[in-house]
Amino acid sequence: MSRPVVEARGLTKIFPMPSGAVTALQEVDLLLDPGESVAITGPSGCGKSTLLHLLGCVDTPTSGQVLIDGVDVAGLNDAARSRLRLTTIGFVFQRFFLLPMLTAGENVDLPQLEAGAIRRDCRRRTLELLDYVGLADRVGHRPSQLSGGEMQRVAIARALANRPRIVLADEPTGELDEVTGEQIAALLHRVHLDGTTVLIATHDRNLASSAHRRLVLGGRDHRLHEPGVDR
Amino acid sequence: MIRRDVKVLVLAAFLLGVFLPISGVEVEGASRGDILVSRPLAEALDLAAGDPIRLARTRDGSDPWPYRIVGIYEPIPDPIKITRKRYEIRMHLQDLLDREQSSDGDEPSRYAQYINVGLVDPDRAGEVADQLNQDPFLYARPARGAGGDIDVFAVLERFHLAIAVIALMGSCAFLLALMVMRAEERRETAGILRILGVRRSRILGEVLVEGVLIAVPGALFGIVLAAAAQGSINRFFQWKYDTALVFVQITPLLAAKCLALSIPLGVVAGLAASWSILRQDPLSMVQR
Repeated sequence: MSRPVVEARGLTKIFPMPSGAVTALQEVDLLLDPGESVAITGPSGCGKSTLLHLLGCVDTPTSGQVLIDGVDVAGLNDAARSRLRLTTIGFVFQRFFLLPMLTAGENVDLPQLEAGAIRRDCRRRTLELLDYVGLADRVGHRPSQLSGGEMQRVAIARALANRPRIVLADEPTGELDEVTGEQIAALLHRVHLDGTTVLIATHDRNLASSAHRRLVLGGRDHRLHEPGVDR
Repeated sequence: MIRRDVKVLVLAAFLLGVFLPISGVEVEGASRGDILVSRPLAEALDLAAGDPIRLARTRDGSDPWPYRIVGIYEPIPDPIKITRKRYEIRMHLQDLLDREQSSDGDEPSRYAQYINVGLVDPDRAGEVADQLNQDPFLYARPARGAGGDIDVFAVLERFHLAIAVIALMGSCAFLLALMVMRAEERRETAGILRILGVRRSRILGEVLVEGVLIAVPGALFGIVLAAAAQGSINRFFQWKYDTALVFVQITPLLAAKCLALSIPLGVVAGLAASWSILRQDPLSMVQR
């Protein structure tokens, strides 16, 4: 049996606040196998984004363990975690987070170049990816010249640039209208079908329904549950 | 020995208001000696080399003696005298003594407080000063080299250094504030790069290169600007104060010092400002 892409064990995240500590996650366990597509749903503020940040190595848990491709990220220094994010994880955010001074093509180039790709190969891959997301004719356009849906497509192309083991999408349709959201959902579904593990945090029912597996985060215990399981 | 070394006596302001110029007019009697006239004085009285002139010891002009102007000289620039009109003459020491001892037994009504003595061999200035200082009523010192605490240019240089240090500190604070603002503007960009997996050291490296690319042309521009402006500044102040003093001089050493200071400062300011942002975790950089 193949190794899980992501394994979270007893993840707890508590934010210290002046008015008292706030528990975002409590003893969360999660196992993602290669090729899976999982949607995590739950009300706003339930900790979906926090969970993705912990799994994406951009934040550290108060307690618990995260293993990416079998590697315990707690034992990695900042440079190694950066490398892991660069090569193994693809991020898609609600606010796209494209670099405004770069063109769509350059935004997709960037993680490849950072990972050490040869510029010519990198450009070829960028063109393939932009074609994959339906924006082959927008290579030279800056984010300000793109619509919200187009920017999210570029963000997905960027997330796929280094052929990551997993794509983490945090509310990818949150800033899009319904029709555009459906197009993004379809695109993420295609990414999954093409073999990439996808973990989506969303409260968009349509997007969640396109996932292979659905989990619900929230409730008083701040844990992950299968839908319909009594908390 | 001393007398042999004395070539010319410079009497500053000794005869201010006491001379009676008669340019272009036959002066009665044979010339009692040759004198040099400072350029400002010559301009003010329309004097030229070869002109006869009469000099008196007193303000009322009584008992004037005839002399001949043999040359016009540019007064030695002196920052202490920058606001004064340099109406001066130079005459031989013996002529001065003759003039002062000619007053029918009266005590000289004027006296020389300072005299500058030009030596045939300037390297012997210290030796000459030592000999003069054996006279309890004289104090002599070499004009250059052993100026000590009354070396005007040394004092001015320290004053300029103090101004430069204060200006530099102010500039550093200003520069750091600018760089912090600039780094703050790019906070989200840096956060996105960090989330995507770009290392801190890589981003700092970019900032370093950017800092050098800004600091080097900036420093060069400053030097070129200063070099281009120095002529105008000098001309203006030389005109304003009627002096040959050089107020601004951009030397290669000064330019090198500017480069050596400004480039590291610019780079360090950029790095410090960026580090204040980059040391945060990536999420807090993108979440405002």
